[in-house]
Amino acid sequence: MNSVLPLIKNETIKIIKKKRFYVILLILLVLVPIFTYAQMRSAEQTRAKFHGDWRLEVQQQITDNENSLGSDRVPEEWKKYRKVLVQQLQYYLDHDINPNEPNGVTFTREFMANSITLFIPLLIMAIASDIVSGERTTGTIKMLLTRPVKRWKVLLSKLVALYMFTSLTVVAAFVITYVISGAFFGYQGFNLPVFTGFQITGSNVDLSAVHAVPQWKYLLMQGGLVWFVSLTVASLAFMVSVLIRSTAASIVVMMAALIAGSILTNMASAWNSAKYLFMVNLDLTDYLSGTPAPIEGMTLGFSLTVLSVWAVAALIISFLVFTRRDILN
Amino acid sequence: MNSSKWIWRIVSIVSILATLLLLIGFVYAIKDIQYPQAGQTPSAAQPQENHEAKGPEAKKEIKIAAIGDSLAKGTGDNTGMGFARRTVNELAKDTGKKVILLNNLGINGLTTTGLLPKLEERGTQYVLGQADIILLSIGGNDLFQGAESAVKGIAGTSSTATGLELDPKDLLKGLPKASTQLKAILERIRAINPNAWIVYIGLYNPFGDIKDLQIPGNQAVSSWNQAALETINKNSNMMLVPTFDLFQHNLDKYLSSDHFHPNGDGYQQIAERIVQAIR
Repeated sequence: MNSVLPLIKNETIKIIKKKRFYVILLILLVLVPIFTYAQMRSAEQTRAKFHGDWRLEVQQQITDNENSLGSDRVPEEWKKYRKVLVQQLQYYLDHDINPNEPNGVTFTREFMANSITLFIPLLIMAIASDIVSGERTTGTIKMLLTRPVKRWKVLLSKLVALYMFTSLTVVAAFVITYVISGAFFGYQGFNLPVFTGFQITGSNVDLSAVHAVPQWKYLLMQGGLVWFVSLTVASLAFMVSVLIRSTAASIVVMMAALIAGSILTNMASAWNSAKYLFMVNLDLTDYLSGTPAPIEGMTLGFSLTVLSVWAVAALIISFLVFTRRDILN
Repeated sequence: MNSSKWIWRIVSIVSILATLLLLIGFVYAIKDIQYPQAGQTPSAAQPQENHEAKGPEAKKEIKIAAIGDSLAKGTGDNTGMGFARRTVNELAKDTGKKVILLNNLGINGLTTTGLLPKLEERGTQYVLGQADIILLSIGGNDLFQGAESAVKGIAGTSSTATGLELDPKDLLKGLPKASTQLKAILERIRAINPNAWIVYIGLYNPFGDIKDLQIPGNQAVSSWNQAALETINKNSNMMLVPTFDLFQHNLDKYLSSDHFHPNGDGYQQIAERIVQAIR
């Protein structure tokens, strides 16, 4: 094991020196202010419409959703989602808590919940898709493999470095989002209560287990779930990077898979076995907020299992292929 | 090489810390989702009391809330304004004061049975408690249940009233129960907000041009309005705005294409009547 640590160190320095991580930070620094500004404008508009009273806004949201329940044009699964939403909003109103209180922490929470399926995985891919195929594009892989170390150790060092940067990326995303949105909305809001524990059976919400969590703890839990998803995506992108020689192609493959996932979640509820695909299971934070899962029968345990199986399979394939393949040119 | 050393140290330490932090969060999340414990939820705050005792006409700013069925919502008005927003506009023009529509809580297809539990919801109570004027429209769906589909059938075949699903005699059947519930609704709203003016929008007969339904429809609507007046007349801050006469001979002009809801002009007429009553 002693010989792996220097290799990990080497990989880490390569990632930093090749400025992959800076690219991620730069993307965050550019995009987050844009999202924050857009959010601020729309919040200002609704606030003006409801004279700054969030209760009126929430009540109107409830009424609008109830109205759409009567329409035959609304698909059944959307109705189910809206029924659940109505009950949750009602719960917030009953306890006199604003679910969308504007502050930096709430924005971070909302933003992370929205970026778990596409945005964060995309950032992870910036490192993961390049980590093996990049060496082959430039030809440096031969130098790496001519050293007197076992091939699996080389690959393992790359994997560990990748996981390290995955953690860093997730934390960086949280921190940057909080710091930037805080400048717009204010930095307070860590102790605001958020409700979690809505248990959904059919279109009914079981409120017996609902409890309030301070927002900082909610963020922590959310971070953990985002992290798990990121590790899975990292493992899969890692495999693609081993299998495909060109970095661009491996990014395209992963992107296609992720986008397919977001399309499928919108329309796959009729196709039940789609729930075994990893990309449908990425939205783990839904289980925390109590949003109905896209397909009947999905639970947190189920999604974690599916993601783990995919990740482990990807890693096994990566190691098998990498240790056996001839490296030409 | 020195910079590499520092890069490695910083990155490794920070990433290990980050991993630990996220791992803790992950464990918490699983625990919380898989074994949720109903902990203490913050106790519900008391509903706000409306301390102002003056009538709406004395205030600088008039707050209006609309509640009830599709008429309150404004179904059929292709500008989406309905009588609620039109009343706000007209009243603002008329009084020169600032008029605010707090919320439009109208829900398509709502009956008196559906409205009663809504009045117990905190959000509804909050909105009604703040309003100076409460516009209420309810009862049409109680009275004409099934009539809408019957009319659709007629419009589709464009024949005379042969395939009529609505039995004229049924119109009066649900009346006693529904009017008791209307009484309960009016009293409940009064209890929620003792100071606001409650404006009840009287019913009209959308089937005045269908031979078999004209007379029973008229009878049902007027006995309904009469039943509503019995409660309303006992309270000085409640009023009924009649619409029956408006629509009686103007169904072509004021009804929308579904032949049940008013169109924009119809809502405008109702709104003008409301403003005449409350200004």
